[in-house]
Amino acid sequence: MSETKIETTVHGMMAEFTTVDSLLSACRRIRDAGYTKTDAYTPFPVHGIDKALGIKPTALPWICLIAGATGTCIALAMQIWMNSIDYKYIISGKPYLSLPAFIPVAFELTILLASFGAFFGMWALNGLPKFSNPMFTDPRFDRATDDRFFLYVDAGDERYDANGVRNLLADTGSDYINEVVEDDSPKEVPKPVFLIWGLSVAASLVPLICILTMRVTNSSKPRFHIFFDMDFSPSKDAQQVTSLFADNRAMRSDVPGTVARGQMEESLDMLTGIDVEALTLSDPPRVQRLVRAYMLADDEAKAEEKEAVDAAEAAPASVMDTTPWVEKNPLNVDAELLAQGQQQFAIYCSVCHGMDGYGNGLVNQRAQSISAPTWVPPASMHQETLYADKYPDGKLFSTISNGIRKMPGYAGQIKLKDRWAIVAYVRALQKSQNASLDLVPESEKAAVEAAVTEAKAELKRQAEEAEKAAAARKQEQP
Amino acid sequence: MSLAIPNGLDNTVERPGERAPLVLGETTYHDITEAVCKVAERPPSKGWIGGFLVAFALLQVLGLLIVYLIYTGVGVWGNRAPIFWGWPIVNFVFWVGIGHAGTLISAILFLFRQEWRTSINRAAEAMTIFAVACAGTFPGIHVGRAWLAFWLAPYPSLNLWMWPQFRSPLLWDVFAVSTYGTVSLLFWYMGMVPDLATFRDRSKNKYRRMAYGLLCLGWSGSSRHWMRYEKAYAILAALAAPLVLSVHTIVSFDFAVSQVPGWHTTIFPPYFVAGAIFSGFAMVLTLMVPARKMLNLEKLITIRHLENMCKIILATGSIVGLAYGTEFFIAWYGQVPAEQFAFLNRAFGPYAWAYWTMVSCNVISPQIFWFKKARTTPWIIVVVSIFVNIGMWFERFVIVISSLSRDYLPSAWAYFTPTWVDWGMLIGSFGLFFTLFLLFCRTLPVINMAEVKATLAKQEHMAHLHGHGEEASEGH
Ligand code: HEC
Repeated sequence: MSETKIETTVHGMMAEFTTVDSLLSACRRIRDAGYTKTDAYTPFPVHGIDKALGIKPTALPWICLIAGATGTCIALAMQIWMNSIDYKYIISGKPYLSLPAFIPVAFELTILLASFGAFFGMWALNGLPKFSNPMFTDPRFDRATDDRFFLYVDAGDERYDANGVRNLLADTGSDYINEVVEDDSPKEVPKPVFLIWGLSVAASLVPLICILTMRVTNSSKPRFHIFFDMDFSPSKDAQQVTSLFADNRAMRSDVPGTVARGQMEESLDMLTGIDVEALTLSDPPRVQRLVRAYMLADDEAKAEEKEAVDAAEAAPASVMDTTPWVEKNPLNVDAELLAQGQQQFAIYCSVCHGMDGYGNGLVNQRAQSISAPTWVPPASMHQETLYADKYPDGKLFSTISNGIRKMPGYAGQIKLKDRWAIVAYVRALQKSQNASLDLVPESEKAAVEAAVTEAKAELKRQAEEAEKAAAARKQEQP
Repeated sequence: MSLAIPNGLDNTVERPGERAPLVLGETTYHDITEAVCKVAERPPSKGWIGGFLVAFALLQVLGLLIVYLIYTGVGVWGNRAPIFWGWPIVNFVFWVGIGHAGTLISAILFLFRQEWRTSINRAAEAMTIFAVACAGTFPGIHVGRAWLAFWLAPYPSLNLWMWPQFRSPLLWDVFAVSTYGTVSLLFWYMGMVPDLATFRDRSKNKYRRMAYGLLCLGWSGSSRHWMRYEKAYAILAALAAPLVLSVHTIVSFDFAVSQVPGWHTTIFPPYFVAGAIFSGFAMVLTLMVPARKMLNLEKLITIRHLENMCKIILATGSIVGLAYGTEFFIAWYGQVPAEQFAFLNRAFGPYAWAYWTMVSCNVISPQIFWFKKARTTPWIIVVVSIFVNIGMWFERFVIVISSLSRDYLPSAWAYFTPTWVDWGMLIGSFGLFFTLFLLFCRTLPVINMAEVKATLAKQEHMAHLHGHGEEASEGH
């Protein structure tokens, strides 16, 4: 800073006032004298000063309006694009473009952008931030934000003439009038400020750089897991021990009195294989018991039913015979169902009853070979007593579900519909061993016959081939 | 100047045809500057240091608990099936509600030309921002995987390949609360700029002067600037007024749009907004009554200011009471068994203690403000306002916990028990709030000096008119 200020630019003239009223009357005098490049500096907004100085209204409301409207449009476009076009969500069965639900966010963004418009628009129109201002060079101007009022006439005004303005201002009753000069002394920002600023800028870049480098480099290392057990939660396997539950079992059984999803979607007929309507006439208490056991998941009723059936099985006139069974498979029997039944039969029944149903499955063969003393051979499916006319579908279903005598029940393992599929398949199996050509419709007969002959020829050919192959192997061996 | 107050410094007496003064004593503009700037300029008092240390320690508790929570998982809270919205959401709604008084004072009272707002709006707005900061913390950590909270934002994500679901009130909430926080911050900061310039001009220290100089953006007090500034301020006030109403409305949608009995009611938006204003004013009073004493601001924050706020508390408290009653009426009138059960359960079920705490604090305790003596006695005001704070916390507790603990599936019913982490976080959030507030008192202008000076100018102008008749109006 030089002692002698040679290069000073005069910006204008300012006068200090102590009251609002004196400032206002001075403003009016200046305005009436024809000055236009004027301004007043006050610690609070003085009402009436815009008129006294001839300040024009601002365009700020328009900026706000445009910003707000932009907010509405952006919000609506964003929501419609995101939820109705690009990624369609179905929520409560509403249409993809459900405008009412988009109102809140549209409202918020309207307010947000309009506020930005008002806030940033105001600073921009005011030309702020601007940290150097010739007015600040006068030490008395510090009181412009405290309790003093300043009137300023710019040197750029065409009527400006230093002495004339000074006299005019003195006339208005100001006791401090001074020329406003540009402070040409170099203003240096203190070094520590630079240091702090530089360091914080550098520090703020670190995370950004880290992220960016991670995004562009390829790494063969596995991803870093901050919370390993959240990415790979430790789950228990069946039959494992756990400390989580009082009984130390990881497997949980059904909560008593509850029905799992998908358990109760079917009718009682389908659940039991019994024609419940007929049973209502003959044995109402049992219907009640069945309802409790199957519809209300009442374990007690289930046990009662089992006891009653088991006891009746031993008696000569078995409850199995008096029960009105469902005659016809409730499911629609088609090729798909039969295929499903075949698969399930192979899984669950064939081990005892054999793939062909003659009762000579692997378990039976093994039991026979070790002459197990208590072994009761599984029944053959191909007895007349098990045919549909004597052994209705419902009864077969009940046998599969609840078991019979030595055979255990499979309700726990095989799903409801699969059990009915097995019933359908057993019927097909029975037919397969005991069908005459008469059952085939006239139109198909020729084709079936041809297929049978072809199959026989094929079998013969296979047998011959096998023989030949065996002979060839014999020759090679010595 | 002479204000001619007959009863000394009592400005609570209504005199027909005259406006009661809002700045007391032989006050000049410079006195106002002195009074407000001194608060930040003089060395911190022992009380301030003590208070700050306590608040700061509590803030550390909050911080450490958040680390513990993120490291361990949300199981450290008492949130258990079926009450998955435990204290974090109670605290969130509580703090957001508190914030509302600030905006109400600064925006709505401004639009209604209630000049008594000028002495309290700055501190109330600061309170808003700090309360929103506390409020924002809770949903942020409540999402479970807090480090993925940014998934709430609608950004084109390469990992998710999807957008947020804009039909959910929870997402509206994200927009509402963040807009609210941002606009409140802008409003607060903009209102502070002229006062920051005063701070700058009074600073002797070079760095202090520079810091305030930067903060006030080079404000000079030019009339052209003031004109645009006032316009912008009015626009922001007009924008903030519907905004503040929308925020708690949307917060109430979080509940009302669901089907939980006791939540699924159309009364929620107005009821929540009234409750928010109620709790916010209570918090303003809790802070201001001791603060005006400790910071020697009794001439600026006068008994009349306190009395006005007490009247608002009385009004909103009664609205809230009416809402409680209406809820019961609608439950009976609607004849929905689940709803009826929900409300009987609130009042007479396992949470009856919380319900009746709420009713006595929120509805009964403010009734004392029917008496002028109570409205003008600071200690009564503080006691009642603390009751209201407690009551409003319990209101949110009752709504969130009692409805969730017993909804449609009786086999899932449960009783909520908070853990020590719940307690620690609630107390810690007060630490955050008070740390920010105490820092604010020491570094920023606690009272809007420019506006108070304008009020004083107007007051003088009026006194002038009365003294000299019509001649003084020549100025306009
Ligand atoms: C563990 C071996 C075993 C399995 C597996 C098994 N059964 Fe049996 N099944 C038996 C035995 C043994 C009998 C004869 C019970 C008796 O007479 O005491 C029997 C009898 C039957 C009978 C005759 C019941 C009657 O009233 O005489 C049918 C029908 C039957 N099983 C069908 C099936 C079906 C269908 C499956 C597959 C879901 C199946 N079984 C699975 C062992 C088994």
